[in-house]
Amino acid sequence: MKKISMKFPKITPWIIWVGFLSLMIAAGVAAGLMVFWKGLVVTNLTDLVPWGLWITIDLSSIAVAAGAFSLCAGVYLIGLKRYHAVARTATFIGLIGYTMALLSLVMDIGRPDRFWHALVYWNKHSLLWEVTMCVTLYLTVLLFESMPIFANLEWLQTRFPKLTDKMKGIHHYAPYLAVVGLGLSMLHQSSLGAVYGVLKARPLWYRPDISVLFIISAVAAGMSMTVFVSMLSARLSKRIKVDDSILERVAFFIGWILVGYLYFRFWDALSMTYTYDPGRTEGLKLLTSGPLSFNFWVGEMLLGIVTPMILLLNGRTRALPFWRMLALALVVGGVVAYRWDTNLAGFLVVLSYLPGLPAVTYTSYTPSLIEFMAGGGVVAYGMLAVSLGVRYLKVVDHDELHEEEHAHQAKLVEAATTGD
Amino acid sequence: MAEKEFNRRDFLKISGVGVTALAGLKMIKRAEASSSVEGAHQWAMVIDQSKCTGCGYCTLACRAHNDVSPDISWNKVIQVNDINGKDVFIARPCMQCAKAPCVDVCMVGASYYRPDGIVMMDYDKCIGCRYCEAACPYNARAFNWEAFTGSNPAVPEWGQPEVERRGRGVVEKCSFCYQRIDRGLQLGMIPGVDPDATPACVVACPVGARIFGDLKDPESNVSKLLRERVSYQLRVDLGTSPRVYFLPYGPEGA
Repeated sequence: MKKISMKFPKITPWIIWVGFLSLMIAAGVAAGLMVFWKGLVVTNLTDLVPWGLWITIDLSSIAVAAGAFSLCAGVYLIGLKRYHAVARTATFIGLIGYTMALLSLVMDIGRPDRFWHALVYWNKHSLLWEVTMCVTLYLTVLLFESMPIFANLEWLQTRFPKLTDKMKGIHHYAPYLAVVGLGLSMLHQSSLGAVYGVLKARPLWYRPDISVLFIISAVAAGMSMTVFVSMLSARLSKRIKVDDSILERVAFFIGWILVGYLYFRFWDALSMTYTYDPGRTEGLKLLTSGPLSFNFWVGEMLLGIVTPMILLLNGRTRALPFWRMLALALVVGGVVAYRWDTNLAGFLVVLSYLPGLPAVTYTSYTPSLIEFMAGGGVVAYGMLAVSLGVRYLKVVDHDELHEEEHAHQAKLVEAATTGD
Repeated sequence: MAEKEFNRRDFLKISGVGVTALAGLKMIKRAEASSSVEGAHQWAMVIDQSKCTGCGYCTLACRAHNDVSPDISWNKVIQVNDINGKDVFIARPCMQCAKAPCVDVCMVGASYYRPDGIVMMDYDKCIGCRYCEAACPYNARAFNWEAFTGSNPAVPEWGQPEVERRGRGVVEKCSFCYQRIDRGLQLGMIPGVDPDATPACVVACPVGARIFGDLKDPESNVSKLLRERVSYQLRVDLGTSPRVYFLPYGPEGA
């Protein structure tokens, strides 16, 4: 037996996948160190386009994390207990998503050593202050919500059985955590849109709809990511069992969210086409016929909303794993494209402040290699973390039904009834 | 069992009310709106476009006094027009808005109002998120993408800057030379009248196109000029209430 374990590990697809991600992370760490060493001059950001690729990754990973609050709310507040296992997957993806966001932000700010200022010095008027507070608090909520998941680690279970018992016990508070999570997420998922939406100097952004669109798209992307990861895991490993009827229902629901999302996007965009508004009209043109038009029409609309909407609402395509997974991946891609386009369309249009009718000029932005490497590292970290979670923490697991958690629940009910 | 349901619903209700109340409170506070506290002085600048020749001395003086990097201009001089063969310029310092978007959006409060209306930067607080750059309609802010090292070509051999150089990773902008105003007031001088208490760009202007003074004092140069002459501010439609006024170009003004 010992001889076998001494042998070089067999090259499995898993090893290749982990190796590939590790390489990406290593490149990302190297790029990140360059950023800390040389400063943000290594990026292609300018005073006119101060936010770029990393902010897109930050916004997208928070959007993808939105499955956690929405599915937890569904399970613990609306009472759709059947979806418990999916909410569990979403919670873990949420946790990873938020840590990805923090990683990209630490690189993006000019003084990473002062990141704690955001928590200590408060300007309550700032949307970013609100986002910081909500994200920090919600990350704490997610950590608590993920405790029962981390308790699944075999190594921890054998060494500290009492600790893992306690960690599993946190499950009792799931409904309360879900309420707090819902409140915090509703606030900051929308405020991330409002970060742009309150800037009067940028007419393309200055509108209330943007916060509504941010949260709807986030819920679509978050749920899609959750179901996609669940389906992919079950297909890649025989040990992982999923209840496909549940995933199919969530996918159907995502289809309807896309209908709502498209509806709001349509009226939002249409209302901006009337009358000439300096800056706004040009921004919209960038999206519909300018350099961002392919992203907008193909990435966001056709592939990001319309195609998956049809694939997920049509029972026949939804039943086929390939088409359903394709649709879910497209939703995530579409939302990432939406974040990228929103950020860039507002910055690329430079509105003059000189007297007379504001004149418009354009600037450009293409991320530098370092930005791509560092951003890729953050994404690879997220993928690796989720992969490890699926493999070692049973993040995707509809089979076991978490007997212990149910035992706790039973005890609680018993206590409540005997207490009367 | 029924009672348990009730409890949870109650809890939800209370949380809902709580969140709404919190949001409401926030909005009320927001409506009260941060604007500069009205102090004893309200500094303002008037720039006369009839006089400005676009020589750029103001920018140079600004660089020298505030140790601004050659990559950054706190004060930009831009040619805006060509009227009857005469070039017309506009100079753009920080507008020192009474309702400054940058102060509103700064998450750590590194941008703040002084009682005298100057929009200040606390370079020790700034984390370099650059949200203020996105919010400022005047592009008056610049980020230190890299460290500015070595000697400043704008600083002459016989003098030295009055303020500390900003480090890498923070956003910087014009401060109406607050250091000159504060020191001047301490020495009993009047900013806008005594050169040593007046912003460097105003003092350096060879044609006297810049006038500085206290809006609170009806007899100050700026108050008188704004009463007597037609003036305008930039992008007032945004509700920023800038404290930099421009006297438009016109042959009668010169």
